[in-house]
Amino acid sequence: MPHQCVRCNAIYDDGAKEILKGCSCGAKLFFYIKKEKLAEAKKIIENPQLTEDDRKQMEEDVFELVGHEPDSDSPVILDIEAIRVLKPGKYELDLVHLFKGDPLVFKLEEGKYMIDVVQSFKRLAK
Amino acid sequence: MFNAIRQFINKFFRNIFSKKKNIALGLYGPPNGGKTTLANKVCMDWLGEEMGTVSNIAHETREIQIKEEISLEKNGKVIKFNLVDTPGIATRIDYEDFLKAGLNEKEAKQRAKEATKGVIESIKWLDDVDAVVVVLDSTKDPYSQVNITIIGNLAARDIPVLIVANKIDLKKSSVKKIQAAFPQYEVIGISAKDGDNMDKFYEGLFEVFK
Repeated sequence: MPHQCVRCNAIYDDGAKEILKGCSCGAKLFFYIKKEKLAEAKKIIENPQLTEDDRKQMEEDVFELVGHEPDSDSPVILDIEAIRVLKPGKYELDLVHLFKGDPLVFKLEEGKYMIDVVQSFKRLAK
Repeated sequence: MFNAIRQFINKFFRNIFSKKKNIALGLYGPPNGGKTTLANKVCMDWLGEEMGTVSNIAHETREIQIKEEISLEKNGKVIKFNLVDTPGIATRIDYEDFLKAGLNEKEAKQRAKEATKGVIESIKWLDDVDAVVVVLDSTKDPYSQVNITIIGNLAARDIPVLIVANKIDLKKSSVKKIQAAFPQYEVIGISAKDGDNMDKFYEGLFEVFK
């Protein structure tokens, strides 16, 4: 499955070292995209109206949304089928996907594990 | 080591004999349906204090609010529950809508982000509620993706549901339209703002908790 860097649009396949350590451009947020949704994702990320600041803001917003420390070294991968950030302040949510309780975000830590952040949230809330 | 075992045993027995947890009643629905207005009305009626702030701008409630131990009495019967007021569920959250409502750009973007987080929280909380009141605006078309998805999911999870058609004080209100959209559920028309038909609503709650 491809992963696309939110800041520089680079696409990486599963297991690429950039996904584990962060993109070569320095960004640490990737959209997780199924192959059939790639065209849609490209439309969002390659939107020429998105400035560099917008992209950084989107990264910060998603980090806050999922409770991820921005200074942390581990990248975050957002499932764009569940939540789309079109630009800062514009969100589209797929309720069917969210209600199903699928992982919203895949967070890679130490380059090895995928953690369901929604589940971690739940544990924190209790 | 012995201390640790003793603490474990104490904790184990304390948990077994501690009183059963209160049932949780969740208020769910799209933004601006009147969930918090209803929560405030219920809290005023039974606790004498309000729960949260209400506003004409959508997504005023962006975090889960809980009022514990509400005791509802009717004809000698009592039900005790924790009331869980949830952020409105939406499929699209756009800061430009908040700009139109008079917020500045920074505030609007912050509100959009918090509202998005609120939707995720609301859905996550479904695992922890025992019954749900779906609060719908009776002046609006009930056949929306949000309404159908919420009610469909509650049915799939076997969570008891009461549907409230709120805002019957407004001219455009139609309780019948909501009844027609969700015929398998009891629909009670109320005005949470004016307190109209709240008796019927409380009766409905007793039915849901049966």
